[in-house]
Amino acid sequence: MSAPVCALEVKDISRNFGGLVALRDVSFKVLEGEVMGLIGPNGAGKSTLFEIISGNMQPSAGQITYFGDDCTELPAHRRRRAGMCRTFQKVRLFESMTVANNIRVAASQCMADAGDVRREVAAILSQLRLEAQAERHPAELTLADRKRVEIARAIAGHCRLLMLDESMSGLTHDEAQYLITEILALNRSRGITVIVVEHVLSVLAAMVKRLVVLHNASVIADGTPSQVANDPLVIEAYLGTKQKALR
Amino acid sequence: MSTNANVAGATVTGTASDAGSPMRSFLIIAIPIAIVAALPLLPFVNNYIIAATVRALIFITLGQAWNVVAGIGGLLSLGHGVFLGLGCYTTGILFNKYGIPPWIGVWAGALLSLVFALVMGSMTLRMRGIFFALATVAMSLALVQLSRHFVDLTGGADGLALKFLGDSLWAMQARTPQPFLYGALVIVIIFYVITRWILGSKFGMEMMAVRDDEVAAAAAGVAVFRTKLLGFVVSAMMTSFAGGLYMQYYMAIDPEAAFGLSQAIQLQLPALLGGLGTAWGPIVGGAIMIFLSEVTNWGSTKIGVEGADILVYGLALLVVVLRAPKGIVGLLTRQFSGSTR
Repeated sequence: MSAPVCALEVKDISRNFGGLVALRDVSFKVLEGEVMGLIGPNGAGKSTLFEIISGNMQPSAGQITYFGDDCTELPAHRRRRAGMCRTFQKVRLFESMTVANNIRVAASQCMADAGDVRREVAAILSQLRLEAQAERHPAELTLADRKRVEIARAIAGHCRLLMLDESMSGLTHDEAQYLITEILALNRSRGITVIVVEHVLSVLAAMVKRLVVLHNASVIADGTPSQVANDPLVIEAYLGTKQKALR
Repeated sequence: MSTNANVAGATVTGTASDAGSPMRSFLIIAIPIAIVAALPLLPFVNNYIIAATVRALIFITLGQAWNVVAGIGGLLSLGHGVFLGLGCYTTGILFNKYGIPPWIGVWAGALLSLVFALVMGSMTLRMRGIFFALATVAMSLALVQLSRHFVDLTGGADGLALKFLGDSLWAMQARTPQPFLYGALVIVIIFYVITRWILGSKFGMEMMAVRDDEVAAAAAGVAVFRTKLLGFVVSAMMTSFAGGLYMQYYMAIDPEAAFGLSQAIQLQLPALLGGLGTAWGPIVGGAIMIFLSEVTNWGSTKIGVEGADILVYGLALLVVVLRAPKGIVGLLTRQFSGSTR
C-alpha cells in the first residue's frame, strides 16, 4: 500500500501586521482524504491563516505547498481552479443569481464543455439536496440552506481540498448534524480533503480525527481530539475549564 | 417561472416571456423598431420629432455602453466621457485633417479607446468603490485640460467642427436627420444584441459575480481583475462608437461636451432611469430622458424659466432612486412578472 499523499503543507508561515504578529512559524501537514479541524480562541490567527492558505493574503514568510507544488504566490482564483476551495465565516453568495447559477459560475471556471458544466451542476444540486432551491435566489433561503449553497459552489467543477470557515455557526444542533453528515459524505464520495475551522468544539470533535490548535499566533497542539483535550498546554491556554466541551 | 427550468443549463437572465412566449418576445422587440423606422413615413412627424428621436437614440447607445461596465459589471465609472471624447475627436480629426472618412474614423476611435481603457483600467481597476470612481473623474478632467492645450489638433476650448460636405454617404453627413435615425437605430439594435449576449454568457455571469462580491468571485475561480478589465474595455469601445455617431450628428465637439463631467453624468442617466444591468433599461431610460427634456424645454420656453430640463432630470432621478431603485424596467418587471428584461 502506497504512503498517503500530502494534500497541503503549511511550512513556517508567519504574518505580521506592522508590529502585531498574527502568525509565527506555523507548520502542519494535511494528508489527502483527511478531515482535519483547526481550533483556537479569538485572535489566535485562524482567519489570517485561512486567508493565506486560500490566497487572499500573502504571508510575511513561509511556504504553502499544495499536492507537492509551491502555491505561495498563486492568486486565489488560480488556487480555486486547481481544486483548493473554501467557504466564508459570513456566507458570501452571489445575491443577484439563482442557486443553480451560483454553482454554475464556479463549475464553468474548471470545465470548458457546457454539457459537463450542466451535468456537474445537476449532480451537486442532487448530492446536497438543493434541487428544490435551484431556482431561488439566496435571499429566499434559510441560513442552513445558504451555507449548503456555499459548500455546493465551493466544490463545483474541481475540488480536492475544502476549507470550511465556521460553517456550523448560527445553525441549530440538528442543522449542524445534517451539515456534518453531508460534509463527511462529500469527503467519502468525492475523496475531498477537508479542513474545518470551528468554534463548536463538541461538534468538531465528533467530525474530525485530527485537531490542530492555534494559540497566540502559534501551533500549540496537533493530534487526535482526545490527545488535544488532554494536552496540558491546550488545557491551560485554550480550553481551561471548558475542557469537557471536547468530550 | 423562468427559462432556468433546466436548472443546470440555465442562463442568468432568462425570463418567462423568453421561453414561454417567443412571439411576445419578438413583438416586444419588433414593435419599437418598426415604430422608429416608420417615423419619417408618418404624415404628422416633422424633422423636429425625428431629430429628437435621433438624440434619444444616441443617448440610448451611450447608456447601453455605460450599462455594460456599471450595470452588469458594477464598476461606477464616472469618467466614461473620456471614451465619448476619444470617439468624437478621433473621428473628427481624421476627417478634417487627413480626409479619412468616419467609416474608418470610428474604428480608429474605438481602437484608441481600447488602448486607453487598457492603460486606464490597469491603473484604476484594482481600486475599490469610490476610489475607482474618483480615479475615472481625474482621468476625465485631465483630458479636458489636454484637449484645451493642443489647440492645433483639437481646436482648443473652441472645439472642433466637422467640414460639412452636404449629403454624403462617404462622409456620413446629411442635411436632414433621417439617415441618422436609421444609423442610430442600427447601433441601438447591435448594442442591445451585445448586451443580451453578455447577460447570457459565461463572461456576463463572471461580471455579475464580481459585481456581487469580488472576494467570493475569486473563491469561485473567477479571474476578477481580468473580468473587470475586459468589461471596461468592451464598454469603452462601445462608448467610442457611440461617440463617432455623436460627432457625425452634431458636427462639432468641444472639451466640456466631450470629456466634461456633465456629459459623463448625462450618459449614465438612461441606464440609471431605465434599470441598471438590464438590456432594456438604457433603451427605456434614454427614451424617457429625451422625451422629458423636450417637454420641459418647451415648457420652460413657454414660462420663461431656463434650465428647467435639468431640474426635471434631477427630480426624475430622485424619484427613481427612491421609488424604483432597479429602474423603470425593474418596476415593470415586478408588475408584469418579468417580460421586459
